[in-house]
Amino acid sequence: MTLSIIWLLPLVGGLFVGFLPPHFAKWFGVVVALCALGLTGFVAFNFLPGVHGFQFSEKAEWIPQLAIFYRLGIDGISLWLVVLNAFLTVIAVLATPITKRTGGFVGLLLAMSAGMAGVFMATDLVLFYVFWEAMLIPAYFLLWLHGEGPRPGAAALKFMLYTLAGSLLMLVGIIGEYVLTGKQTFDLANLATMAPSPAMQFGLFFVFALAFAIKTPLFPFHSWLPDAYLAAPTPMLVIFAGVMGKAGAYGFLRIAVPLFPQPMDWWDWRWVIPVLAVAAIIWGALMALAQTDMKLLVSYSSISHMGFIVLGIFSYNVQGQQGAVLQMVNHGLIIAALFLITGWIADRAGTRDRMAMAGLGLRMPIMAGVFAVVAFAALGLPGLNSFVGEFMTLLGAWQRAPLLAVFGAIGLLLTPVYMLRLFQGTMQGTPVGATVRSDIYAGQLTLLAPLVALMFALGLYPNVLTNLMTSLGQQGLYK
Amino acid sequence: MIPPGTDLTYTWSQALADLGQVSPIATLVGFLLFTIIIDMVLPHRRRDGAVAIAAAVGFAYSLGVAVYRWLFFTGGYAYHRFATGDSFALFFEMLLASLGILTVALSHSYLKRRRLLEGEFHILIMAAVIGMMVLASATSLVTVFLGLELLSISLYIASGYVRGDMRSQEAAAKYLLVGGFASAFVLYGMALIYGGAGTTVIPDIATRLGASQSGNPLILLGILLMGVGFAFKISAAPFHMWTPDVYQGAPLPVTAFMSVGTKAAAFAMIVRVFSSGLPHLAPEWQTLLAFVAATSMVVGNLMAMTQSSLKRLMAYSGVAQAGYMLIGVIAGGQNGISALLYYLFVYMFMNFGAFAVITLLSGPAGDADSFADLQGLSRRSPALAVAMSIFMLSLAGFPPSVGFFGKLFLFTAGVGAGYTWLVVLALLMSVVSVFYYIRVLIPIWTPAPSFERVAPSLSGTSAIVISGVASLLLGLYPTTLLLASQLGSNPIAGH
Repeated sequence: MTLSIIWLLPLVGGLFVGFLPPHFAKWFGVVVALCALGLTGFVAFNFLPGVHGFQFSEKAEWIPQLAIFYRLGIDGISLWLVVLNAFLTVIAVLATPITKRTGGFVGLLLAMSAGMAGVFMATDLVLFYVFWEAMLIPAYFLLWLHGEGPRPGAAALKFMLYTLAGSLLMLVGIIGEYVLTGKQTFDLANLATMAPSPAMQFGLFFVFALAFAIKTPLFPFHSWLPDAYLAAPTPMLVIFAGVMGKAGAYGFLRIAVPLFPQPMDWWDWRWVIPVLAVAAIIWGALMALAQTDMKLLVSYSSISHMGFIVLGIFSYNVQGQQGAVLQMVNHGLIIAALFLITGWIADRAGTRDRMAMAGLGLRMPIMAGVFAVVAFAALGLPGLNSFVGEFMTLLGAWQRAPLLAVFGAIGLLLTPVYMLRLFQGTMQGTPVGATVRSDIYAGQLTLLAPLVALMFALGLYPNVLTNLMTSLGQQGLYK
Repeated sequence: MIPPGTDLTYTWSQALADLGQVSPIATLVGFLLFTIIIDMVLPHRRRDGAVAIAAAVGFAYSLGVAVYRWLFFTGGYAYHRFATGDSFALFFEMLLASLGILTVALSHSYLKRRRLLEGEFHILIMAAVIGMMVLASATSLVTVFLGLELLSISLYIASGYVRGDMRSQEAAAKYLLVGGFASAFVLYGMALIYGGAGTTVIPDIATRLGASQSGNPLILLGILLMGVGFAFKISAAPFHMWTPDVYQGAPLPVTAFMSVGTKAAAFAMIVRVFSSGLPHLAPEWQTLLAFVAATSMVVGNLMAMTQSSLKRLMAYSGVAQAGYMLIGVIAGGQNGISALLYYLFVYMFMNFGAFAVITLLSGPAGDADSFADLQGLSRRSPALAVAMSIFMLSLAGFPPSVGFFGKLFLFTAGVGAGYTWLVVLALLMSVVSVFYYIRVLIPIWTPAPSFERVAPSLSGTSAIVISGVASLLLGLYPTTLLLASQLGSNPIAGH
């Protein structure tokens, strides 16, 4: 029952919160999110390392005529994403400013978080799909009703149609997988043991990978992301960028890799995806270099970093895949902190244009200090969390094909350039242009403190995560 | 026709058994007569309410009888195999009786607001439902045509019910002309099939027209002509031209009723005649229907995107939905037919519900029909706004609403039967459909500068609440309805 409560609690709480007056809504939302975090903490502490199979499994008949079951379970991969989701939800709700419309906003945030928790815990293909699509609805309404900028509706619709184009084709894939494996089951653990012929896998892999590539997003399918992230309000971005993007990468790892071990016919998809991942790393970094809008810069950096994760997944070895999961958690923490900090700086300076500000560090030394730590984490400084993850993914990629790692490493070179230019340009030098009146508030600092603490902790003791990752629920993943 | 040599003695016990097989229809006919009498004898003041109550009770009674027979009787042929009371027929009788109840609930307050007479309206709807039920339980081409005409003629009159409104008159005239045309096509096709098989009894046609007839131009022309007529009735492209005009002109409750009822009954007819009557010629009509399905999905979805009238948008959405449903017929077998039955049943809730919301927003002057009428609905009536959002997301096929599961079953059957290309097309077109279904939501959730609260009537609200709750609950728990659909598909799939 624990896993069911983990997704039901935010959903029911979110429905309730939607009707509360602003002050109550925010604090009740925080309580709900904290309870969910507590439950995931309980699961994490009672999780047994080294066990084969899903833990805390739940199974109930749903549509027996089509062998569809309500199956939830957690293994070493999904555990961390569920915890990350619950954790960032707390941060996102706390970061929400109190206005007239807080009730609806927090309600939708919690509903979206519930959907994502479901995606990470579902071990039945249809249930996975139900959560996958259901989380789109609150995301759409959040972007559209609470979005920023001149036309949030257009960005929301673009996001919706883009993602749907992928996920509806995935539905063909789900049905196809069911029919081709003999109409027996939608159970992921079972399906991983019975793959259709390579030619069929080729087609099925394509429709699944397309959906995940759009969601992640991978290189040529990323054009929805800058629009959507630009329109999204900062508290939403904490879980939108921090967790939802991971759902795509998680899909690759949970479904595309184990279910279709040999997706080759006209060509071999196992080489196409990592090449696209490398392209995403480089393209995202180059685009980030070209941006002056801080929010857009961070958005493109996200594309680049997600490339490392996908590269690690498609290295088909232990280091790569563990590094990828580690990096999903790391990137979730870092991107959330980056969006929060740049959002706060933009609030104070009155502009998001990094060229219009300089030397702000003099006026807000503490903000500059925190920003520096987060920026170092983002560029992969050893001792902070991102270093371990990126190193492991590149190591994995090297073992598969050294060229992949060599080109992927270009991203490592470009990240410091745009990250440090952003930090130094805005915080150091002689003050010109925009001025700020106040440093970071105590409340905001408290909000960032756990994020920063985790960046250090995971940078120094990544074993906490990787130890438990040896417990896997499916064949085809690497211990 | 009755084959020569048949024993034509007809005993009382046989008559009672026959009546039992069609008892949901017979019950409704009894109530129809009763309602007509009430409408004539009661004084003016009391008339409207009494007629509505009588009609609602009639539908409820018919529903009860259908459920009772479903649970405790085995169906069989009646009237020399001209009709049947099998589970397929009962499934549709339950569906149509429920639709009747919803329609009475919705139209009662609407008619009062628009100052229209209630008596004839409910009587016409009852007659149309009887026609639809006859269609569902017909096992002879003669009975099929009988039901088709009864339902069509009632609806021709009903769509012109607002006598002072030119639009309504135009709709009725158009519907009559095009509908008559379609009926003629069906009749011509039936005549050709009769010419080939020598009988009008559908199970006999199935045994007499074997696979060897697949090259027979007479039969092929018959299939083609009937297929064209059927496509008219389910409003599938390229025979959908009448749909937007009639939907727009007809009064809203009639539109709501026929968008679901006619479609359901016409699909029952297609399944009876094609799947059950011409199983050996399946490749021929499957090709025809696959073409119609693909065209419907493309035309319906693309045209719906450009509409500025809500009724026309829903009309084109109905064209597209007919395309999805045809996949079930084409796939056939228990999987295909049961998916179709499931989808038709849930389509009732989501489509009727959507029309019901628009109906409640209509004032005394005329029907709500533009996006502006929905402006700021989230403030004017949050409950209606939530309900409309559920219906639209369900029609678009978002989980966990019923629309998703309906599509899942249809598409699983489609892929299972090897029509992957059709399913891929359907899903690509579903992406397009999200665009216009969401377009309906935009004015609803956009705050309006000034607004007046909507005060919906009790009966209308209850129709919407039932539809809304069903649209969610049947999605979270689809098993029972799917089981019923499978039982309903057994007589066709031959289990």
